[in-house]
Amino acid sequence: MLDSLLSILITGAMISALYALIAIGFTMIFGVGGVLNLAHGALIMAGAYVFVILNRDVIWESVALPRLVVFPVAVGVIGLASYGLYAGLVRYIEDDPVITFLATVVVATMTTEIALGIFGDQPYAYTVVSGQVGIAGTSVSYNDLAGFVLSWIAIGLLWYYITQTDGGRSILAASMSERGAQLTGVDLHSVRTRTWLIAGGLAGLAGIFLGGDQAATPLMWLNPLALAFIIVVIGGIGSIKGSIIAAYLIGYTETLTVSMLGQSFRGILSLIILLVVLFLLPQGLYGREYVHE
Amino acid sequence: MSERVRRIGRLRSTVRRSILLPSGRAAARVLSPIDRALQPGANLFNRFLGSYVGEVTGLQLGLLVAALVALATVPMWAPLFVGNYMRTLAVACIWSIFAMGWDIQSGYTGYISFGHSALSAAAGYTTALLAVNLSPVPSFWVTIPVSILAALVLGLLIGLPSLRLSGPYFSLVTFVAVLLFYRLTIGFSETLGGENGFQAVEVFTWDFTERYYLMLVPMLLVAAALTVVARSNVGTVLVAIRENERAVSAAGLDPTKFKLWSFALSSITMGIGGVLLAHFGGNVDPTTFVVVDRSIEMIAMAVIGGMSSVLGPIGGAFLFVLLRDEILRLWFGHSTRWVMLWLLVLLVLVFARNGLFRWIWHAVGAVGGDRE
Repeated sequence: MLDSLLSILITGAMISALYALIAIGFTMIFGVGGVLNLAHGALIMAGAYVFVILNRDVIWESVALPRLVVFPVAVGVIGLASYGLYAGLVRYIEDDPVITFLATVVVATMTTEIALGIFGDQPYAYTVVSGQVGIAGTSVSYNDLAGFVLSWIAIGLLWYYITQTDGGRSILAASMSERGAQLTGVDLHSVRTRTWLIAGGLAGLAGIFLGGDQAATPLMWLNPLALAFIIVVIGGIGSIKGSIIAAYLIGYTETLTVSMLGQSFRGILSLIILLVVLFLLPQGLYGREYVHE
Repeated sequence: MSERVRRIGRLRSTVRRSILLPSGRAAARVLSPIDRALQPGANLFNRFLGSYVGEVTGLQLGLLVAALVALATVPMWAPLFVGNYMRTLAVACIWSIFAMGWDIQSGYTGYISFGHSALSAAAGYTTALLAVNLSPVPSFWVTIPVSILAALVLGLLIGLPSLRLSGPYFSLVTFVAVLLFYRLTIGFSETLGGENGFQAVEVFTWDFTERYYLMLVPMLLVAAALTVVARSNVGTVLVAIRENERAVSAAGLDPTKFKLWSFALSSITMGIGGVLLAHFGGNVDPTTFVVVDRSIEMIAMAVIGGMSSVLGPIGGAFLFVLLRDEILRLWFGHSTRWVMLWLLVLLVLVFARNGLFRWIWHAVGAVGGDRE
C-alpha cells in the first residue's frame, strides 16, 4: 500500500511538472493578450517532432547532433514558431475573440494534418535521456526525471524574470491592466512578443518530454491541451501560481484514476472536477473574474 | 506592428478601389435588368411571406429559386460529373442541418459552443442503443422521436448550468462536454461500443436518389422553420443578447430564458441531423459523431458561410463538403486535402469575417440600388 502510494506520488509529480509548463504558457497568453490560443497544443506536438527531426542523423549521413545541442535548438524553434503564429496571424484578428478562437483551432487541426502527411499516424518512440533509475522502489525513467527537473528550473527562471526584472514586470503589468501598463510607458508590442516566445518555449519543452515519455503522434496534443484548459480554469485564467497548483492537483488525479480504475478512465475524473469548480467558483482559485466587454 | 497592419489595410483599400468596386459596378449594370424583371415575383413573395422570412429583392429571389431548382434536380445533373456527387450532396444536407443547429444557438446569441457534436451524438447513440438492445427493433416512428428527445435532454443538461457562464468559460464547458462524452464511450466500451461503435443501425435505403431526397427534404424543412424563428421576435432578442446582454435585461426580458430556448431549439435541430446521419451510413461511432473535429467542422461551415443567418450555414456546409469530398480530392492526397481545406477556412476567417455567403447575398441585394 505504502509502496503504491509512493509510486503514485512520484509518477504524479513527473507528469504534473509537464502539465504545469503547458498551462503556464497558455495562461500567460490569455493574461496578456486576452487570446485563448488553442494552437498551443499544436506547439506541444511540434516540439516533439522538431526534436525527432533534429535528432535523426539527417544533417550529415552518419553524424547525429549531440542531444545537448538539439534540445535547446528545438525549444528555440518552437518559441519562434509561437511568435510566428502571433505575428503572422493572431495580431490581425485578436480584436475579435470568436474569430481568434476559431482561427487558432483551425491552425491546430491544420498542423495535425501536416504532421500526419509527413510522419503518418504511427507513433514514433524516442527518449530524450535513456535509462532508468529506482527512486524509493519506483522505477523512473531518466527522461521523466529530466523533464521534472528542467520544468522546475524553467518555472524558477520564469518566476525570477517576472518578479525581479523590469522586462518581466512589464509583462505582469500588462496582464493586470493593458491600459494602465501603456500609460506607464510599457511597450505592449514587445510585451506580447516576449509572452508568445516564452509560452512557445515552455510548450516546446513540455512537448519534447511528453513525446519522450509516451511517443510522438500527430494527435498527442489533444489530451495535454484539454488538461491545460482544465488546469487553467481551476487555477484561474491568467494566474501562474494557480496554474502550478492546479497542474499538480490534476496530475495527481490523473495518476490516481489510472492506477485505481484503469487507463480507459483517464481524464474522466479531471473533467468532472473541472465542471464542479466551474459551477462553484467560476473564476478559479486565484483568477480575476473574466470581464466580458 | 501598427505600421504593417496599416500597410495591409492600405493594400486592401487599393484593391477594393481599383478592382473590386469597378467590377462590382459592371456586374451590377449587367444584372440590374434581370433584377427588375424578377421584381414582380419578389413583390408577390414579400406580400405573402415577407413578414415571416424577410423581404427579398428580385435578384435574391432569383438566386433562391435557382438554388432550390438546382437542389431539387440533382439526380438529373449530378451523374454528369466525375465523382459520387449524389452521396456528397446528401452528406452536405446533413451537415447543413448541423451547421444551422450550431448557428441558431452560437451564431445568434454569441455564446460560442464547442460541444455541438455531443448533441448529435446523443441522438445517434440513442438510435444505435435502441437498435442493439431491443430485440424487435422498434419502427422509425418510435426511435426517431426518442432520439431527438435524447438530444434535447442532453442539450438541456449541458445548457442549463453552462449558460450561467459567459465568454470563454462557456466555450470551455461545452468543449469539456465533448471530451467527457468521448471519454465515456471509451471508458464504458461494453455499453457504448468503444472505439468501433455500432454498426447495427438500419440504413434508410441504399438507393442514391431516394436517399438524397430523404436528406434534402428534412434539411429544407429545418431551414424554413429556423428562418421563421430567426425572423421573429425571438431571433431579434437572440441577436440583441449577442450585442448587449445587459440592455436586454434592462428592457425587462430574461436573457437566460431566451438563451435556453435557443439551446433547446439547437439541440432539437442537432438531434434531427444526428438521426439522419445514423440512418445514412448505418454506423454510430466516436469518429463519425463525437470527436472534437466534428464540432470544429460545423463551426467552420457556419462561419465561412456567415454566422447568424440561415442561408449562410447551408451555403457554408455545401461549399465545405463539396471541397472536402469532391473538388480537393481531384488534386490532393488525404492529408494535403485537409491542409488545403483548413487553409481556405483560415483565409475566409481572416479576410471575410462575416462569411462568404452573407457577402454574396448582400451584394446581390444591393444590385439596382436601395429600395427600402
